[in-house]
Amino acid sequence: MERTEEAIRSAAGIVTEYFAAPTRALLDWVQPLATQVADLRRSGPLNQAKLDPLVEPYALRMLELEGVPVYGAGFIAAIDLLSDARSHLAWWQGADRQQLVLASQTVNKEDIDYSALEWYRVPMTSGEPHVAGPYVDYLCSDEYTITIAVPAEIEGERIGVAGLDLLVAAVEKELTPRFMALGHQVTLINGVGRVVVSTDPRCATGDSVRGSRLASLPRVACDGVALDVIVEEI
Amino acid sequence: METSPTPVRDADAPVDAASPPASGRHPHRLQGSLFQPIGDEGRAELVERQLVDAITRGHLSAGERLPSEADLARSLGVAPVTVREALLALRARGLLVTKRGRNGGSFVADHADPLSFTREALRASSRLALRDLGAHYAAITGACVRLAARRADPSEAQQIRDRMQRLHDLDAEQRRRLLDDIQIEIVALSQSARLTREQMKLQAELSPYLRYVEQDGGDMTRQSEHLAAVVDAVEIADEDAAVARTALMVDETIEALISLQSRLD
Repeated sequence: MERTEEAIRSAAGIVTEYFAAPTRALLDWVQPLATQVADLRRSGPLNQAKLDPLVEPYALRMLELEGVPVYGAGFIAAIDLLSDARSHLAWWQGADRQQLVLASQTVNKEDIDYSALEWYRVPMTSGEPHVAGPYVDYLCSDEYTITIAVPAEIEGERIGVAGLDLLVAAVEKELTPRFMALGHQVTLINGVGRVVVSTDPRCATGDSVRGSRLASLPRVACDGVALDVIVEEI
Repeated sequence: METSPTPVRDADAPVDAASPPASGRHPHRLQGSLFQPIGDEGRAELVERQLVDAITRGHLSAGERLPSEADLARSLGVAPVTVREALLALRARGLLVTKRGRNGGSFVADHADPLSFTREALRASSRLALRDLGAHYAAITGACVRLAARRADPSEAQQIRDRMQRLHDLDAEQRRRLLDDIQIEIVALSQSARLTREQMKLQAELSPYLRYVEQDGGDMTRQSEHLAAVVDAVEIADEDAAVARTALMVDETIEALISLQSRLD
């Protein structure tokens, strides 16, 4: 059993390490993809039929990632990047690694506007990788999801984000035992105080710590990811 | 140039006998569920209704080509002969036309507009069915907004309110789509995937009626006022107000529909 300060450091370290591997995996291909997109653009207008085959091998590679329960992966184009659609998700997901086919409620299927959603908005604004969620992903996975997204750039122009989805249920199953081994109560929260995972069964994923007992406890930032841990003695 | 409505599965992907799985989930996520598997009973009437729904909700537009009979059968989980029966019936109703030749197939009739389909659905429906739809929708959506009020961060409600600013610049159809999107975003703040999925199905069912009420009644602002009030309630974590306003919105919609229905022949 660790003392509390050590437990805090360990907990933050567990989180940093957990999200670092998939983030690195995305960073490995986002620039090569951007370069390929830039080359393609020089030879003519960029459309879905040209973009999707570029993304597919990278997406499938993410779905094969060892030690990370990746549910879906791909590339989301910046609004108006493509000539034949205002918005586009080149996305593969599920056990059978199918390409996502979206029917929006609009007649013109390119009219989905994801520009305000956290997993797009934050990396496109900050230029940095971002771990978004947990949130109900009604566009892709249809489940409670954490999305890791990194922006793609061509000479300073942000052309979209490379991303992958983790199901929160899977993250819960993987992180909870690691936290419990610290012999302390560990609660992982996001930037708006929403519980991602907690060893405390009274503390539910999805609830806010706002107004709860945990609200007044110290939150310790985890390196490299916009998540905090709250660690208490049991 | 052929345009086809989005099939459930990528044309090149292997179709295996196990899908769509009886336990429910498609590998693809279709917002608004364009085609839902019908199951073993697979009757032509159900296929008919699904296709009419798709047209009503704007997934299939006037003049658009339908997927092939084989593709439809696969997507809907029924036998091709059932699809054929349904297509014949829709042709007899004047909603589909068949073109022969190289670019042949079944097409949504040119004159077909979603509103006329909704009017027909309304005419065929009953007050009982409309009120029961309202009860179902209010129950699920109410549960979602209650959780949203409890769990959302004020900044998340603010985000949604910002999106509502864009309503002013849009035409009727775009407004309806944005309001539908906003309803889903509010519901997603519940943090419940199950309830959100359930609500989205009901939203898809109610949305053509909302469109119809807006178009006929001429009062375009009522829906957005209700949603803005729900967002406000979510922002200040007022669960009861969020639920009450949702219930009021549904009541008004259903009563307006019943009133419109009684004015149809």
